[in-house]
This record gives sequence, structure tokens and C-alpha cells, in this order.
Amino acid sequence: MGYPVTLRVNGVDHELEIGADETLLHVLRYRLGLTGTKENCLKGECGVCTVLLDGASVYSCLVLAVMAQGREITTVEGLARAGGLSDLQAAFLRHGAVQCGYCTPGMLLAAEALLTQLPCPTEAELRQGLSGNLCRCTGYGRIVEAVLEVARLRQDERAERQG
Amino acid sequence: MSVNTMGSALRLDGPEKVVGRAAYGPDLVRPGMLHARLLRSLVPHGRILAIDTSAAARLPGVRAVLTAADVPDVRFGGLINDVPLLARDKVRYQGEPIAVVAAVSPEVAAEALSLIDVQIEELPLVDDPEQAMRPDAPLIHEAWASYTAAPHVEREGNICAHTTIARGDLEAAFAAADLVVEERYATAMVHQGYLEPRAALAEATPDGRITVWSTTQLPFLIREQLAAILGVPVGRVRVIATTIGGGFGGKLRILLEPYCALLALRTGRPVRMVMSVEEELVADAPRAASITAVRSAVARDGRILGRQVRVIFDCGAYAGSGPAIASVGALVALGPYRVPAVRIDAYGVYTNKANTGSYRAPGAPQVNFAIESHMDEIARRLGIDPLELRLRNVLEEGDQAANGQVVRGVSIREVLRRAAEAIGWGEPSAPTESPSLRRGKGLACAWWTTTQGASTAYVRANEDGSVVLVTGCAEIGTGAITAGVPQLVAERLGIDPSSVIVVSADTDATPYDYGAQGSRSLYMVGLAAVRAADDLAEKLLRLAAEQLEVAPADLELRQGAARVRGAPERAIPLGELVKVAMKQGGPPIGTGALSGVVTEYDDHCVRHSTYPAFHEPSFAAHAAEVEVDVETGQVRVLRYVAAHDVGHVVNPLGIIGQIEGGVAQGLGQALSEQIVMADGGVVNPNLAGYRLPSAVNVPRIESITVTSPSAHGPLGVKGVGEPPIIPPGATIANAIRAATGARIHALPMTPERVLQAIDEAGKEPA
Repeated sequence: MGYPVTLRVNGVDHELEIGADETLLHVLRYRLGLTGTKENCLKGECGVCTVLLDGASVYSCLVLAVMAQGREITTVEGLARAGGLSDLQAAFLRHGAVQCGYCTPGMLLAAEALLTQLPCPTEAELRQGLSGNLCRCTGYGRIVEAVLEVARLRQDERAERQG
Repeated sequence: MSVNTMGSALRLDGPEKVVGRAAYGPDLVRPGMLHARLLRSLVPHGRILAIDTSAAARLPGVRAVLTAADVPDVRFGGLINDVPLLARDKVRYQGEPIAVVAAVSPEVAAEALSLIDVQIEELPLVDDPEQAMRPDAPLIHEAWASYTAAPHVEREGNICAHTTIARGDLEAAFAAADLVVEERYATAMVHQGYLEPRAALAEATPDGRITVWSTTQLPFLIREQLAAILGVPVGRVRVIATTIGGGFGGKLRILLEPYCALLALRTGRPVRMVMSVEEELVADAPRAASITAVRSAVARDGRILGRQVRVIFDCGAYAGSGPAIASVGALVALGPYRVPAVRIDAYGVYTNKANTGSYRAPGAPQVNFAIESHMDEIARRLGIDPLELRLRNVLEEGDQAANGQVVRGVSIREVLRRAAEAIGWGEPSAPTESPSLRRGKGLACAWWTTTQGASTAYVRANEDGSVVLVTGCAEIGTGAITAGVPQLVAERLGIDPSSVIVVSADTDATPYDYGAQGSRSLYMVGLAAVRAADDLAEKLLRLAAEQLEVAPADLELRQGAARVRGAPERAIPLGELVKVAMKQGGPPIGTGALSGVVTEYDDHCVRHSTYPAFHEPSFAAHAAEVEVDVETGQVRVLRYVAAHDVGHVVNPLGIIGQIEGGVAQGLGQALSEQIVMADGGVVNPNLAGYRLPSAVNVPRIESITVTSPSAHGPLGVKGVGEPPIIPPGATIANAIRAATGARIHALPMTPERVLQAIDEAGKEPA
């Protein structure tokens, strides 16, 4: 019924037949059962569907799945380190940045992509960088604290390694 | 008594949420599941002449198409049973469900909708609530008198609620006044804005029952109403609340569940329905718009001698929570003030708009915006500092409020003082970079309730020393059920809160709870759970006493074991006690049940109210400093402080979360959010047009907690879920007034409105 495509999600290859009009969001949730990536507006206005393509954040509801072939797709399910949480995931919990949790997967990935691009953001740069991910529960304060702390911790680690 | 602060960062549901495993409504799938979609009216008011579903029913992949003729002819609702399942003879708002389709995919269902032909004869549009109240207005519900309703609801024609509070001699007060201030304020319809769309999934089970998974905050209410709709005893229905991606009151009431259930019974397959964002903004229970007229009689020294308030809530086509909102709005209109003479009239009115519902502190942000802006205006006209004016009028401990209730735990002075101190009240703002930027500070205060309502909890222990907490209340994101209550239970049992397992919100498996609403969860479920924990503790200590050959009174539960007081090494771990109990019939279970306090009020003063008194009231004061660009009308919130009386701090991060989140929603309502309607239709049914605040729109918020314990809450807790959303509208409006001299009378205070107000202020004589 569609195009034979191999999608590499969280380091694992999946061979699928995908329709030309199927979004990456739809494939992740309904074809691969990876429901960690959330659905809401389905038109790029809220951010809950955020995933990473080769480390850069995208709205998976606006990406055609066939276009993701050959790219590294990272979803929230791919963040945890073996046997534990990523530093961002742990920081979100430590700072009370998770209430209902619906924005959390997208927010974590957006933060991950932002810190890759901008390792030492100011608060204003951080807020700007996360402005494409809506949160209705937290008012953003605890999320900002969590990400700023991780930025500092990563910076300390880098300094240690270089020192 | 303090609470184990190790629980401060505890969220038992946190790990599953950060790894993406938590199962929300739209995540649920069942084998063979069908997808349902609703056909919604494009006409806001009209008579249905004909519906032809034959083409839709023939479409491959469609398994059922239902119209009003195919479903029970019942009406249900919030407090008035005025809602049909599917529009029968009339449609009353653009977006009203007319038909429902179940198909093998959402795409086929959507295509089927396009094949349904509906003939509607348009009727005159009623979209102004003040016009709707007139005796000659077209009736939205011709048969309104035949509807059943909750006790105390007063209604007539298009007026679906009318609550009054009257006390003292209002005429004398106005006769004695040195100043009379009369104003009018309005607020727009806004949406709860949860990021998870509403969803339900129903499956008929082999035993002839029906199971419904729902993103609901009130599983027991859904069960009751669904059973009534299906015409079966409640025991035939099981409702399970999924993990909820935000509710804020918008997911209290029944909506999708009946369609899913009826389609599941019709097709023999599980049926799921998920709302789209467009449907949410067009048709799903937003916060009612309001018009508040307020008139105050004031003495020269600032004392309010008398106040008359008329509030109109635009409830939309179906009353929803309207009567409750009118009732609560009337209490909010009193404010945390002593006013010897009052007359409050709060109305709910039908119009041809989406049926409105409950949203965090229903009725409060609307009325508080009016009352607290009004207080500020009174202060300015008298030349009195706005903080000082409030302090001259606030309730004192033991005062009788105008509804006759005696108010205790009054902390209004303290929260005002703390907020004012934190914002630097009285100190001028720093100079701005440009003459078109003006800065100013404003403040506002409020009082609110801790809703009661029955709650039962069970607590039992496992052989490994872990403890299971079983409650009918759903965790909706606040952490009350997955952090606060487990902390309280852990404290009573002497265990680490991370050893608590929570089972919640399943009408088969968990006991009754009134639901996650009204800022009640930590208080009421906390009380029930503490009673259950104490009941369990008593049973465990009796067992331990037998084993250790001491009296139970010589034992205490500490650090995971029953220990002899003064000789803690003589102990039996909890798990071991459970193993002993296994041989005696099984691990003991503790039960706690209660219905909460009854708050006395004067029923001569309060008439036709479904919520006549605030239980265990809490108090709040907010202050902000804004910078207004008088050329563009843009408002930047530089600093925001929120002081809240929470009674007792159980979970600091939980409290901060409620304050920051509630303020953010309040700022959205204050500055940018509105559902815009024209000709009976929603103009902006998407998130590009309906502006939810993003991370750049919300400033840092400084949370201040004050503890003036409640009389009966666990450790003196008061509810904090709702209050933070109440003051921001007036706080920002008052700050804008201070910055620019312009008083804005309507929310949201968009740049256009700000510019208009500045313009008008410039024309007024000095």
C-alpha cells in the first residue's frame, strides 16, 4: 500500500511500508507503538510531538515519514541511559518540572537539541529556544531551572575533562 | 509536626512520564478498535428538518452511524439536565453534535462525516447574554421548564441560574456615602488549554458490562451519568481514568463517553474518540465570558459601606456548570472584605455559543478582575494607597461574611503584607530606557474555598514492607495523589514515601471519591488516607504487640518497622508483620472515610445557591511590576509575586507548581487568550489564533507561602490548586493603571485594548 522505507529510531532499524502522506508522528505512534511522542494539534502549533532528526528538533506531525529515511530519529524512549535516566530527565524530576507530563517528552527533546546547539544559554535564550513547546501546567519556571542546571553540570563536566 | 521532606521531589508518577511510558487517553489502543468522530452543526441556532446518513453508512469501513433517533432520548448535564446526546429537533450552537460515526480509521470516519446530509432551518442568533435575558428574546430552550435540575437552582427562560446574596441596608449605605463608584467590567471566553485532547475508549466486556477509559477528573460521576444514559444500574459500568494530560476542570464532565459506549454496544468492538484542538476550542466547555456591573458606597476614609454587584455569566447553549459558577461568583464578588450592606445578583444565561464548563476556580477570575480593579479605582479616587484601602476593609478573624459564614483562619493581612513587601510596594520603579516605556506596580487579593465532598481510602501493606494506597481520586498532574497524599501516609506509617504504591480512579477497584476538583484532593483524600493509615497502623501494632509481648501503646511505627518506644532495636519490620498476618487471614487493610465539613451560612442572605459558603477558606495576594509600551500597547511583566495561604506545607514543589502554573494561566487570560466569536462561530479555533503563553510570555514567578492552618485539614492543609489563577487579571490591570493612568475594563488586555485605554485616559480631564 505504500513505499518500503527503513526508519532508524533510537538506534534500531524498522522496515515498514509507509504511505506517502503518513506523518512521522503517525508512524511512531501507530505503526511502531512508540506512544511516548504525543499528539495534540497535529499542525505544528504546540510542540508535544517534538522528536530529533540527526539531533535537531522537529515537529514530527509536520514531517512526512518517508522523508525521515536515512536520518537518526530520536524519541523520548531513546533518551534514557542504560539502567538510568538521562541528566535532563533526572533534572526534570528533581525540580518538579513534570506535572501532567504531556509536554514532557517534547520538552525534553527540545531542551536536548537546544543544549547541543547552545551549550551555555542565558535564561532568555533558553526561554526563546523552548518557546515552541507549550506547557499548560508548570508555567515554565521549574522547566527552565532544570535545563539551566543541566547546562551548568554539563559545562562543569566539559571543564573537568579538559582540565 | 513536620512531614518527611525527603518527599519534596517525590513524584511517584514522575519516572513513567519522563521516559514516555505513561498511558494517556490518546495512547490507549484495544484490539479491533474502531474510531469515532462527531458531525457537528455549522449553524449556531436552527431547527433540524432532515438528516440523511445513508451514504455515510454505505462507505466501506464505516461500522455504525447514529443520530438522535438511534440513541436514548435522555437529557443530562452539569446541574441542569438540558443536554441531548445528539441534537434532536434543534441545534443551539455551532459545533453541537448531530451525528456520530464509528469506522475502521479516523480518516474513514472523517470522510463519512462529509457524506452526512443535514437540512437545518436557521433561527435568529442569540449571542449577547444581556439581550438573551430580555423577556422578548428568542428562547434557546423552549422546554426549559420540563428539565430536571439540582436543588436550589433558580431559572426562567434563557436565565439558567440566579443566585443572590443580600445583607444589610443597601439604600442607607448609598445615602451615607461620601463617594459612589459605579463601573462595568467584562471578560472573554477562555479555554483550559490542556495539551492532551479529551479522549475516551469504551469496550463491552463478555460479562455484559461496559468498561470506559476516559481522560476524566471524575470517574464516579461519569459512571453515574453514563449508567443513567444507558438505562442500566451503575454496577454495569466501569470507568477508569487514564493518566490525564491536564484537566483544570475542563475534563470534569461527561462528553465523549456516551458516544463511545453506545457505539461499542452497537458494533461489538471497542470504540475510541479523541477530540481535535479545533473541536476543543469550538465545542468543549470553556470558561464563561462575563459582564460585571459593580457599584460601591464608600466613606471618605476608604471604608466600603455598601456594594451592589450584578454578574452575568454567558453559559452558552447548555448550562454546564453555570448554576455553580453563578453561586461561586457571588461569593467571589464579596471579596475577602467586610462590607456591611451588599446585594449580589449572579446570573447564568443561555446563548447560542458552546456550552461552557468549569475551569480552575470557576467564576472567580472573571469576578475578581472586576472587584479588584474596582477597589483600585476607589483607592485612586479617594487618593488612598490601594494596599492601604484594602487593609482598611479586609475581613478579620471570626468576622461574619455577608453570606453569614463565620470566617476563620483569616490570613488576608499577612498575604497582602508579604506580597507588597516582595514587590517593593511604595518604592518607585527603576527608570526605563525610553520615554514610551512606562512602569508601574499593582496588586490584587482574593479568597477561595477548599471544596469538601466524600472520600474513602484504603491502605494495606505488602510482605516487602511496601504499602498500597487505594483511592478513587485521579492524579491530574498536581501531584496531590502521587506525592502529597503518599507523603502523609508514609509519615503515619513510618516508611519512606517512595515505598507507597498508588492505585487510583477505577470505579471497580477503588472506593468512591468526589473527584479531582475544587482544590480538594490533598485535603480530602489526605484526610481519608491518614485515617486509613492510622487504622492500618493500629492493626499492625496490635500484631506486633503480640509478637513482641508488649502493649500496643509501647510501640510506634518508625523507619519501616514496629519498634518499642525507647528501645528501637526491639522491632519487627512491617513486611514481617504482614507475613505473620498472612497466616491469620491476610494482610490487614486500613479504611478511612469522611464527607468533610459543613459550613454554616445564613440562608436568608444567600438564596438559590448550589455553593453557599467557602469551606476552610484560603487567602491570596498577588503583586506585579509591568512595563507598558504606550506606543504599541505591549505589556511586559517584569516581576510577579504570589502570596498564598496554603494552611500547611506538605510538598513545597507541589505548591510552587500550582502557584506558577495557575499564575501563568491567569496571565494568559489577562493578556492574550480569548475565544473570538463572530456570527455565532469561533474565529480562532486553533493554537495559532488562541494564544497560550509560551516560555517567553511568562516571567519568573516568586511564590510565597503563608501558613494559617485550616481547622480540619490534614496538618492544617488548605487547597491551593485553584487560587493562583484568580488574581492575575486585576493584578496586571492595576499595574497597567499605575504605569499609564489608564484603566482597562475588559480582558484580555491586548495591545489594542491597552492603546485604546491610554488614548481614552488622555482625553479625560485631569
